[in-house]
Amino acid sequence: MITVKNLYHHFELGKKGNKTTLSVLQDISFQVKEKEIVAIKGRSGSGKSTLLHLISGFIHPVKGEIWIDGTKVTDLNETDFAAFRLQHLGFIFQNFQLIPSMTAYQNVELPLILSGATQEKRKAVVQETLRKVGLENHGEHYPSELSGGQQQRVSIARALVLNPPLILADEPTGSLDSETEENLLELIQQLNEEMGITFLIITHDDQVARIGNRTIEIADGALVEGGVIHEI
Amino acid sequence: MKFKDQFQFVRQNMKKNKVRVFMTMLATAIGCAFLIVLASVGFGLHDSLIQDTMQNRAVTEIQVHGKETDGSYQALKDEDIDYFESISGVRAVTRKKQLQQSPVFSINDYQVQTMAMTTDFPSEMKAGLELSKGKLPEKDNEIVVGHDFASRLAKSNISDEELYNDQDQVKEKYQYDGDLIGKEIEMKVVQIEDNEEKSHTIPLTISGITEAPNREWFQDQNVYISESVLKEVEQFTGTNRGMITTPGQEDMSSGQQQEDSYDQVTIYAENMEVVQEISDELKNKNYASYSVVSEIQQINMIFTIIKTGLIIVGTIAVLIASIGIYNTMTMAVTERAPDIGIMKAIGAKPKTIKRIFLLESGMIGLAGAIIGTAIAFIVSMAVNIALPLILESVFKEELPPELRFSMIPWSLVLIAAGICLLVTVLSGLRPARRATQIDVLKAMRREV
Repeated sequence: MITVKNLYHHFELGKKGNKTTLSVLQDISFQVKEKEIVAIKGRSGSGKSTLLHLISGFIHPVKGEIWIDGTKVTDLNETDFAAFRLQHLGFIFQNFQLIPSMTAYQNVELPLILSGATQEKRKAVVQETLRKVGLENHGEHYPSELSGGQQQRVSIARALVLNPPLILADEPTGSLDSETEENLLELIQQLNEEMGITFLIITHDDQVARIGNRTIEIADGALVEGGVIHEI
Repeated sequence: MKFKDQFQFVRQNMKKNKVRVFMTMLATAIGCAFLIVLASVGFGLHDSLIQDTMQNRAVTEIQVHGKETDGSYQALKDEDIDYFESISGVRAVTRKKQLQQSPVFSINDYQVQTMAMTTDFPSEMKAGLELSKGKLPEKDNEIVVGHDFASRLAKSNISDEELYNDQDQVKEKYQYDGDLIGKEIEMKVVQIEDNEEKSHTIPLTISGITEAPNREWFQDQNVYISESVLKEVEQFTGTNRGMITTPGQEDMSSGQQQEDSYDQVTIYAENMEVVQEISDELKNKNYASYSVVSEIQQINMIFTIIKTGLIIVGTIAVLIASIGIYNTMTMAVTERAPDIGIMKAIGAKPKTIKRIFLLESGMIGLAGAIIGTAIAFIVSMAVNIALPLILESVFKEELPPELRFSMIPWSLVLIAAGICLLVTVLSGLRPARRATQIDVLKAMRREV
């Protein structure tokens, strides 16, 4: 599903004429197979979020290749990557990233609107997806009227609504209490098993890493070998 | 993303900042109304002037003054008339030879001094001349008089102060009130010989009176004589067209008018559409001609320049309003940066983001244009009602009834709406481009 080959990335700091380079990722290579749940674990500043942003196409790598579902995404331009993201990737963010002026229903509907789906199709799919995450009665609520766990479920529903083969999750439980976290991890496992969706989860939490089939550990921008915690 | 969804999306966004969006729309509407009202003055005065020109002159008339040959203008002769009549679209060609003195016409003790001329009656009838009484002349000594001839025929022994009223018309009690048809009338022409005035009287008979002219202000008191009467006058005066020779100017008559040439030649076209074609053909053959169509063309050209100038001045008001739109859209982009970031993250193309913001500025522009047009129609109506009343009360003079100060044709509405939309979309272009360049990560971290 995902192949990362010899990936390098650095950030340029400072102003023009006095720039310094901060190396973030060095020679990262790994693979994620279909229907896997893979956790990328590392401390703060290890470069795990940068890795996810590179895979998501939010930033472009300095060197290396990323392949997703048979497409070399590092060759895509901004417009093509946007279209690719819409059809192939779902996102779950730490702080949910819901549009506050839209209801839960409208937030989940947004990817369908962007894909040009008809209103009838949208209605049926959104209701079904909200039911899957257990929020069928909360569609008309605004994010501010929902709990953290419910907001993250809306975020998952939005990631699921176009039925992507891969969901990228950036610290999905970072803003949740332990009980809610447990429920959410169960939901992710359930979606993986029932729908066969591949999950790549960025986390620093061992509890989260534990639900993965594999764990890839990153330290100081480089891959740490032998990071497998749990295999089915 | 479908257009309908984009529209819904924009509507929702606009609802979030109703007051700000309304104020921007209002500024655009005022700019648009100013543009329309300003240009409508040009359109109104143009229309009034064209109507005035069309009313005062026959639109199918082409006056031909002469033909340019070797740098000088030659008077028109029979072969020119034959050529004019052969041009397609020509209904009639009238030609007149005018007596170069005003003879005195007398019936008993009533008399009038007026112009006399020869004309070709068949072509005059084709051109639309009608007689109100009598018939066309059949004999050489028969004449046709103009419709107002009788009203100028007055008692001869009355002083001028007593004879005329305030409007310079002969008082009714001194006017000839008998029937003119079949009446004997004397035409007296004069010539100066050896510093002495000599006169010659020709007896004539009135056979017909022309119909009243179409224009109320126009008076026809001419006398239409035959060629043989003209020849008799010329024989008496010894000059072409009966010109009076004053001492030292004996040679003036020679060469001024050739015997077989015409003084007034008018071509009547079958309809207004062919007037320009005939005028062009005459121009190609070096004839000097004039028609109301060429005057209208000149008026149109001048007013096109004036109207363009007014539209440009009006556009400045819309440009000022566009600063408001630019400001509103920039604020909208800044406020919605996190939302834009989320949309981009889940797969919105930069083009879609740009289109949403352009649609929003376009909708503000369209709403502004609609409101502005409505305001402009109200202002235009008020101007047309109030301004004549104000001017009449200030200058104590009645304005022409066809005068319109402001007129808003649909073309002006379309031009103004087009300018308004273009300016508003252009002013939204930079904020829209900025929206597409928003960094997803910074936006989601609320750093934009």
